[in-house]
Amino acid sequence: MAQIFPRWTNNLPPIVAGGAGVVAALAAFFFWYYGSPKYTDVGYRPKQPVPYSHRLHVGDLGMDCRYCHTSVEYSSVSIIPPTQTCMNCHTLILPQSEKLLPIRESYATGKPMQWVKVHKLPDYAYFNHSIHIAKGVGCATCHGDLSQMEVVEQKQPLSMGWCLDCHRSPEIPIRPAEEITNMKWTPPANQREIVAKLRASGAIAPPEDCSACHR
Amino acid sequence: MSSVNRPDGRNGREYWRSLDQLSQTGEFKEFLNREFPQGASELEQVENNDWSRRNFITLMGASLALAGLASCRRPETHVLPYVKAPEEIIPGIAIQYATAMPLGTGVYGVVVEAHEGRPTKIEGNELHPSTKGASNAWIQASILNLYDPDRSRRVMQGASEKTWSDVTSFWRGELTKHQANKGAGLAVLSEQHNSPTFARLVRQFKSAFPMATFVTWEPAGDELKIEGIRIATGSVAQPVYDLAKASVIVSLDCDFVFGESESVVNARGFADGRRLKSEKESMNRLYVVESAFTSTGATADHRICLQVQRIGAFAIRLAQALRAKGLAIPSADGLSSIDLSDIDSKWVSELASELLSSRGRSVVMAGRRLPAPVHALVCAINSALDNVGSTVAWHSAPDVNVTNANEFATLVNAMKSGSISTLFVLGGNPVYSAPADLGFADAYKKVATTIHLGTHVDETAEVSTWHIPQSHFLEAWGDARSVDGTLSAIQPLIEPLYHSKSDIELLALVVSGVDARGYDIVRETWGASITALDFESKWRRALHDGVVADNRTAAVPALIDSGAVANALRSADLSSDKLSSSSMEIVFAVSGATFDGRWANNGWLQEVPDPITKLTWDNAAIMSVGTAEVLGLASGDIVKAGYSGRSMDLPVWIVPGNADNSVTVALGYGRRSAGSVGTDIGFDVNALRTSKAPYFDAGLTLSKTGRTYVFSTTQDHGSMEGRPIIREATYEEYKRDPNFAPEMVEHPPLESMWNEHKYDTGYQWGMVIDLNSCVGCNACTVACQSENNIPIVGKEQVRKGREMHWIRLDRYFAGSTDEPTVLHQPMACHHCELAPCEQVCPVAATVHDHEGLNVMVYNRCIGTRYCSNNCPYKVRRFNFWNYTKDYPETIKMAQNPDVTVRSRGVMEKCTYCVQRISEGRITAKKENREIRDGEVRSACQQACPTGAITFGNILDPNSAVSQAKKINRNYVVLEELNTKPRTSYLARVRNPNPALEGVSCGRG
Repeated sequence: MAQIFPRWTNNLPPIVAGGAGVVAALAAFFFWYYGSPKYTDVGYRPKQPVPYSHRLHVGDLGMDCRYCHTSVEYSSVSIIPPTQTCMNCHTLILPQSEKLLPIRESYATGKPMQWVKVHKLPDYAYFNHSIHIAKGVGCATCHGDLSQMEVVEQKQPLSMGWCLDCHRSPEIPIRPAEEITNMKWTPPANQREIVAKLRASGAIAPPEDCSACHR
Repeated sequence: MSSVNRPDGRNGREYWRSLDQLSQTGEFKEFLNREFPQGASELEQVENNDWSRRNFITLMGASLALAGLASCRRPETHVLPYVKAPEEIIPGIAIQYATAMPLGTGVYGVVVEAHEGRPTKIEGNELHPSTKGASNAWIQASILNLYDPDRSRRVMQGASEKTWSDVTSFWRGELTKHQANKGAGLAVLSEQHNSPTFARLVRQFKSAFPMATFVTWEPAGDELKIEGIRIATGSVAQPVYDLAKASVIVSLDCDFVFGESESVVNARGFADGRRLKSEKESMNRLYVVESAFTSTGATADHRICLQVQRIGAFAIRLAQALRAKGLAIPSADGLSSIDLSDIDSKWVSELASELLSSRGRSVVMAGRRLPAPVHALVCAINSALDNVGSTVAWHSAPDVNVTNANEFATLVNAMKSGSISTLFVLGGNPVYSAPADLGFADAYKKVATTIHLGTHVDETAEVSTWHIPQSHFLEAWGDARSVDGTLSAIQPLIEPLYHSKSDIELLALVVSGVDARGYDIVRETWGASITALDFESKWRRALHDGVVADNRTAAVPALIDSGAVANALRSADLSSDKLSSSSMEIVFAVSGATFDGRWANNGWLQEVPDPITKLTWDNAAIMSVGTAEVLGLASGDIVKAGYSGRSMDLPVWIVPGNADNSVTVALGYGRRSAGSVGTDIGFDVNALRTSKAPYFDAGLTLSKTGRTYVFSTTQDHGSMEGRPIIREATYEEYKRDPNFAPEMVEHPPLESMWNEHKYDTGYQWGMVIDLNSCVGCNACTVACQSENNIPIVGKEQVRKGREMHWIRLDRYFAGSTDEPTVLHQPMACHHCELAPCEQVCPVAATVHDHEGLNVMVYNRCIGTRYCSNNCPYKVRRFNFWNYTKDYPETIKMAQNPDVTVRSRGVMEKCTYCVQRISEGRITAKKENREIRDGEVRSACQQACPTGAITFGNILDPNSAVSQAKKINRNYVVLEELNTKPRTSYLARVRNPNPALEGVSCGRG
């Protein structure tokens, strides 16, 4: 009687098993890489209703972040400035600019600007700007070097793992209070020692508990 | 009867939650044995929906696969900043404003938290004499009234939509006519007020329209109390108690810790007298005479249950006993015929001796239902006992507008006769709430023009010519005096959400035709009389503080007009009819939830279980075990209740400890047009109420209909199998054995199966709840609901044991079914250091943090409910449905932005208000300091009127919570399980009079 399966089919089981393993590994890699906020979120650069340039205002003109984002030292949220803040200068500077038309309209009509949100956390994560500023986390650490950004984009994944990286080893981002808004700050050579001292004194004690951010 | 081992307390006392438990019915056992009731996990709620769990999952699988593909793009969201930023507002930082919530003839001073102009949470105002920083369930829930999606939104004339300017032009057209005939045919019907501005407008109204009628009426007003003081002293005044100074308190039908006015401060004062830091301190003693169990009766050291109609006689008997001992009290000898033979005479004489031996440190209080002459007699007793000026003071009430039942009846008769052509109803809902015999609804239709100001399109609005939406107190300017006369400004936190007006704005229009703003009306009053000098700075200070300092009205001198009191007693009809099962007493009580029906559409209040009956979403005919036995009734039977020629169907609810042959029914239910929450909830007992006897009367008959009714009660929810959860002793026992509470349970040395974490650094949060102070008033439960965005689930879901309250108030009965005592125990997550829930969670969604909190990580939870199964305290709650998904926009505004709004399939429970801890920690860190003791307060602690809850860092030996844990009454529930809870309790101590040991409290 002829054999139903030819001899080569004996190799099928290991091939299938091996192939399934490769497919599974590829799928895992696919989700690990393409599903991570590093891929999905970093680089998010939506078009804003007004082509506001941080490079111009921060980089070229040297304005401090807190001129517009006034609440960052006090509140959990760092506000997007009210239209009024723009008009403080732009009633005199470029008062006829076409690009600024939505700003003038908003100011005249009282309808708020609809800026597109770039840095977004899930609703169940409660981030507080003020405590990070108070403890020496600079703006650029999370938001990147705004002085070089024509259009604001997300530079960091803002994932929980990324948050915990710093909360577990805060050596990298901590800087002196006067350097908070400095976009070009680089850590000194003895950064590790400085931070180790701060940690030992209890001045820096970033929580790693779930309850620190989730409630 | 003893298949479950029940706790054997010191006295061999048995504690039980319900009659079902006591008799161990099958229903109870099933409820006990199942974590969730039969079918709780099935999708069987949607009507006409025969989905099984399996085909639901099949369908969901397919849609999930599709949804997965569609969700790759991240949705674009927008940030909308201010155009011109308001000066005070920093987004993300809540601002507190002081204002006041008027209720009846008093006002609660409150501090309201606003997020970017949106009020979200109400607390008591520490500077205000009627709250002193605490609150009650009504205050807490009033935020939800503001955002009630069913509120009336626009002016209506009949069925057509109108505007406020239509109202003003209509009235200006009418005004000259009314001015010409001096207001004849014009009438105003108002709710109770204690407001200088309202009183000024009333005076203006009366002088502008001398022929017009102005009537104040509410279904449960304070008329009799104020009238009694007027009889005794000749002055219009309100009683103000300082119960902290009293060592003996006698309550005559006065639920002063819960249902009566000023319950917040009275509960606080009462608790202050029994905090017992050690067995060496003394505590007050409370005698309560009442028919139905109340929170006050539950906290009593001695409770006589007596039908309400005989409580007046009891007061006279007490006065006679005091007189016999030489006290100068007006005589009321004509009433000696009243039969009180079933009350042991020793009871009254001992009570009299104790009152006499604590002259100046005792107080007798009478409830709002008792006749005015009894109130007058109580005034005389307090005066003779030198209590006036010490434990009680009568503060004159110059601006009070109090219910006047006679004037109301006269008005209704005038309406019937057609002599009223124009009627303004300033708030209230008389078509629903007026006693049945007056025939108000018919009389109302005979009035040509009726103008109703109300929060909802309710029963009255539906039959009014005009309806005007009424502003919530957080939307309108106003002012009010508390019962001691302290003046508060009511300042709005938000523009009216709809086209609403306040009562003073409408009354000002009625008086003069001028459309004035509430702000100007109030300031005119204040500028003219109250703070004439240095007006602006005083005004600003009053707005900031919420009160005008040192502004109490004068206390009325304790000069009793004995002749007037005696005359009033003699002419009063205090004789009681013979009661039997065929002619019972009917007693009308205000609901602890909806009050007189005004809050029927408030889901928080509807769903919070009643302190005694543990009923939610219902009222019932409350009766004693004995009465039910005689009539052959069981809880849930529907009876036909007949009284004075009217009848209605009512379901029966049996409460041990009720007076026999007395049936108590709560007002405020059975609304026909309350809104989507409150319509047709419960039974409208106004149908039986008469103006002749608005509070109690004999002549009630009950007959079985054979039908039954399904209640949603939580009394057996979360039962703990009869282990010694609640611990109590008498004061004498406590003195003999100060460590009775921690030593009540013996267990072998407790060893853990694994290495325990040492919680020995930083902050370690803990809580102590003093059962000696807790009165079971639900303030904590509702405060928690407001703070933590806890949804309501509805009557059906409560019946399935799915209520979401993070704090459960367990109510235990002890003793016999005839003379039981009641204990309350708040039960929330204990934050066990060795938490059983954490050990079984497959996804580590509930874990410990370094500060000892048992945290619940919603975004990790997959809803296995293992944690809830393994929790010995039964304090975890599961979102069986997506309760929050379809919230109307306005309800979303009521949510606390600092707390996650949970979705379906997620477990939740008390967090010790982790959001408040986080805020406190961040604030302290920014200021480079430690969190101060008392800086972080949990919502329940802040709300608790009696200060029963202490919260703080247990590692700090000086913190209040550490001190409380050192008190020898401190015990841990289920310590033998070695869960090491962070919440502990201080055992209850009762202080019965040793001389009355063994003397029966009487069954009335």
